[in-house]
Amino acid sequence: MKKLIFPVLIGATLFFSAFTFMRSASWKIADGYSIKFSSSDPSGVFTSFKGDIAFDANNLGASKFNVSIDPASINTGNGMKNTKAKSDQYLDVTKYPAIKFTSSKISKTAAGYEATGTLDMHGVQKQITIPFTFANNTFTGSFTVNRVDYQVGGTTGMASHTATDLKIDISVPVTK
Amino acid sequence: MIQKSFMQGLISGILAAVAGVIYMKIYQNALGPDFHKIVNIGNIAGGAIFACMLFGLLSWLLEKFNMLKLKGWFYIVIAVLSFASIIYPISISLPLDIQNPELFPGLVIPMHFFPALAYFTIEPFFNKGN
Repeated sequence: MKKLIFPVLIGATLFFSAFTFMRSASWKIADGYSIKFSSSDPSGVFTSFKGDIAFDANNLGASKFNVSIDPASINTGNGMKNTKAKSDQYLDVTKYPAIKFTSSKISKTAAGYEATGTLDMHGVQKQITIPFTFANNTFTGSFTVNRVDYQVGGTTGMASHTATDLKIDISVPVTK
Repeated sequence: MIQKSFMQGLISGILAAVAGVIYMKIYQNALGPDFHKIVNIGNIAGGAIFACMLFGLLSWLLEKFNMLKLKGWFYIVIAVLSFASIIYPISISLPLDIQNPELFPGLVIPMHFFPALAYFTIEPFFNKGN
């Protein structure tokens, strides 16, 4: 029986240390994040962002993003535009209270990394790829979303003045 | 005559500024928004005094060029321009770090009427004969 103690201890240590490595890939979203969107009109920010981030540059297979934005936190700087953006004409925040991104694959690129996954917005799920970098404990990414693809607003009448392609700039500082 | 127009413009400007500052304090205490980066005592006072001094100057020009019969139209223009100017706070986009931009027009729109209101209010004290 005594002969088994050390092999069991070694095995247990290895087993639990594996969880330590898994945990080390997990990051908490820190204050100071920035989710900006820009176009000819409108431009603005989302001020509420949360989710789970697991990222290890040496183990991209175990890395995963599962994050969401509260669309009701939109701020274009203009009260009328905010009200319209939240209404059922655009984001319909009452019916769709979250914009979610869940990655299915993270891979290395020449410029940094890219996360491929599903963007769920306004009840429409589409696969997108978000290029990003990770430096100084901050994720930085930029990509474009076509609002019409997600049935956010139309393209006729007053909605024709609203840009269809919106550039999204993300900067998310994280801590362990 | 220019002294009278100057005093009417200055006094009404000060009254409009005082009204604007009081309204801003009440509004901020009641609803809590903080727009001090855009609207503060300095630019409320500056805007009100500038507008009323401009009214005074234009009023003096009407007198100087014997166009007093147009004074009624002049006041209508002031009222219409005050009303038309509310489109600015409704359409402006504030810096994105300012929360609750929905409350901004409610703060600023009444202030756009204070200069005209103050100028018209003290008019009888300066033009008793007209």
